[in-house]
Amino acid sequence: MSDMTADRVGVLETPLNEPLWQVRGISKAFPGVQALEDVSMDIYPGEVHALLGENGSGKSTLAKCIAGVHQPEKGEILFRGRPVRFHHPMDARAAGVATIYQEFSLVPSLTVAENIYLGRYPRNSAGMIDWPAVRKGTRQVLEQLSLAIDPDEIVRTLSVAEQQLVEIAKAISLESNLLIMDEPTAALGLLETQRLMELIRRLTAQNKAIIYISHRLDEVFQIADRVTILKDGRRVASEPISKLKMGDVVRAMVGFDIQQHYPKERHVRDEVCLEVQGIRTENGVNDVSFSVRVGEVFGLGGMLGSGRTEIARAIYGLDKIVAGKILLNGRQVVFNSPREAVAAGVGMVPENRKADGCFFNFEGPKNITISRLKELLQGPFLSLLKEREFGELYLKRMNIPATALERSVQYLSGGNQQKVILARWLFSQARILIMDEPTQGIDIGAKLEVYHVINELTASGISIILISSDFPELLAMSDRVAVVRDGKILHITQSEQMTEYQLIGMASGAGTSDEIE
Amino acid sequence: MERVSRFFRSTVAGPLVAFLVVATFASLATPRFLQPQNLSNVSLQVATVAVVSIGATLVILTGGIDLSPGSTVALVTCTLAILVKNMGLPLPVGILLVLLLGVACGFVNGFFSTYGRIPSFIVTLATMSIYRGLAFLITKGTPIFSVSPALEPLFYGKLLGIPLPFYYVVILYALGSLFLRNTVQGRAIYAVGGNESAARLTGIAVNRSKLLAFVVAGLTAAIGGVLLTAWLNSGSPNYGAELGLQSIAAAVIGGASLVGGYGSMIATLVGALTVAVVQNGLNLLAVPASWQEITLGIVIVAAVGLDMWKSSIGRAFSKLFRQT
Repeated sequence: MSDMTADRVGVLETPLNEPLWQVRGISKAFPGVQALEDVSMDIYPGEVHALLGENGSGKSTLAKCIAGVHQPEKGEILFRGRPVRFHHPMDARAAGVATIYQEFSLVPSLTVAENIYLGRYPRNSAGMIDWPAVRKGTRQVLEQLSLAIDPDEIVRTLSVAEQQLVEIAKAISLESNLLIMDEPTAALGLLETQRLMELIRRLTAQNKAIIYISHRLDEVFQIADRVTILKDGRRVASEPISKLKMGDVVRAMVGFDIQQHYPKERHVRDEVCLEVQGIRTENGVNDVSFSVRVGEVFGLGGMLGSGRTEIARAIYGLDKIVAGKILLNGRQVVFNSPREAVAAGVGMVPENRKADGCFFNFEGPKNITISRLKELLQGPFLSLLKEREFGELYLKRMNIPATALERSVQYLSGGNQQKVILARWLFSQARILIMDEPTQGIDIGAKLEVYHVINELTASGISIILISSDFPELLAMSDRVAVVRDGKILHITQSEQMTEYQLIGMASGAGTSDEIE
Repeated sequence: MERVSRFFRSTVAGPLVAFLVVATFASLATPRFLQPQNLSNVSLQVATVAVVSIGATLVILTGGIDLSPGSTVALVTCTLAILVKNMGLPLPVGILLVLLLGVACGFVNGFFSTYGRIPSFIVTLATMSIYRGLAFLITKGTPIFSVSPALEPLFYGKLLGIPLPFYYVVILYALGSLFLRNTVQGRAIYAVGGNESAARLTGIAVNRSKLLAFVVAGLTAAIGGVLLTAWLNSGSPNYGAELGLQSIAAAVIGGASLVGGYGSMIATLVGALTVAVVQNGLNLLAVPASWQEITLGIVIVAAVGLDMWKSSIGRAFSKLFRQT
């Protein structure tokens, strides 16, 4: 490693026709999943190398292996032909790898300049931090991005887009030969995205290499030189982009081998129970209209950050609706809090079940009855006997281990925890249930059980708004699907009339099915 | 063996063991500890702390903290003394008014730490100062003695040979326990402390639950204040200085988690008894006040430690029994 730090930014010494970085057959497993299997890719100086694949295909894991966050179990990484081993992100950093992560790594309470120089403040002769140098350096980096942000601004007060840009500025300010960008535009608007594209071109002109991870194929085709496509942790293609059409890319990402059997049952009735008319929120939901029928599963399909979760938040009373209205069973409703939504018979299975769903200080029964404690009242008091009976009933019905009767739900598996939360809404007798990524991170068996619960719910006349990044699941389990992008609904259709790659095409901005064929 | 390890897993186990250890020490150290006269004294001494700890537990269960009850107690003793002695109001009316005052104090704490979005530590740090300042203001700094001859029987009276404060404590803890275990509001308090975000998404009125905990804390502090006034037949702005931290200590020794969501009334009562027994035992042994403070600190760490380590202790026990 020491020989590398000497000329770590020495991109110019590397001939353009030789790879700067090489990934050779790396594999990485996490408990329960093989995230990467024998993946190789070459990265040349001055190129934008797009890394594509569906959610969970291993893109981020691969990027993190290169950045030293994860250590692959097999395979090797070569820098200018010499094998390197990173035990820590700082090792990769020293070798010239800078990363812009999906999750922000900024400290919200510090200023822009403090964040950009975090951990590497220049010192003056007295050994104190050289603040003028910090400000000057920050101003230069911000200018490169044509950003009008004050270096002394506290990061917390910036908009999400601005924070993302500061994150990018931070990575650029590091002396690097390889920049990994993981969904850099997820939080950016059109104008900022365009600026980022210009900046990327300037960086590649300096012979820096860029690994560009994005769901948005329109961007990829605009900026990338080469594309590597991952599917289920394996590389399925690695080609110059000029040889590919958007349709090829989508097909390679989706693959044709998915023939899972989803136990979908249709229970849609004629009556409409929820009507959303032209709602708008400050959180980016823009003129969204749709209706949901009794017993229907209405899917919201879109990429991360497309606004699907925000639509759900607006309906559930978490975000203020600034225009438009919502009708529940024909009557207009305004929910100022989830409490009012729950009282009106709307429930939510949140995306993050640990942080927003489970009560780890409660055993199974208390986790289930919390949504409708009224049911347990005998006079003014809760009947703990009744609670236990309901608990036993629902644990059995949902096939959750009986140990949950007396032990905290923290000892249950993720799938069983999710079933506890589903049982909660079953018990609450909600009429409309919003499910945000209900099968994320749970095993196949538990997934199937969740699907069966969905069938059971719709059979009893409950309507479901389903949000899922697992598009095959979304298409199979929904009766109708709406494609969401940039806070808008682009298209609503019967789910059997839409293929997965049409959905990906529209959600990623590649265009409608006709355009990508 | 299963029963042994289950006992160690239960929530009252740690506090109870700590209490028994302390009580055994006290009774071995001085034979006077177990004499009926002394036990009756302990029940008098524990009354104020125990009552104030009810509110402290509720607030801690929601994930908040209340530093102000000691100052509320001081303000209540002074107000009661002024209302009854200086203004000549009948005692029951005076008591009713100071209980309302306690509720108001708790409401202020709760309002600013929920709807005002200021951390409860900060709010109650401020009101700890403000309430005691008010007590100094209305008394001009001088204690008021001999408040009313009708007060003392409230504290020193006996029923069936047992001091009245014993009954107060039992009744209030029974009510507190019933509230926490068997009402919708009590359950909501656990839910809010266990996972605030999940509670909100499940339709629980998070702010209202927290506010309620603070209001009850104000009320129990006021009841503690009335008891103290009756005990000493006086009101003083200097009273109750140690009650704020002692009530937190009682809840924490009882196994309540400052993160919220874990703890119970019975466990807090055990915690309050532990605090009282430590003080009583050291008093009997004529240990100087400085060492009393130090010992109380050690007991807090030991009791909470016992609770944190109890699962490993329980495992060690069941292993031991399986081997033999």
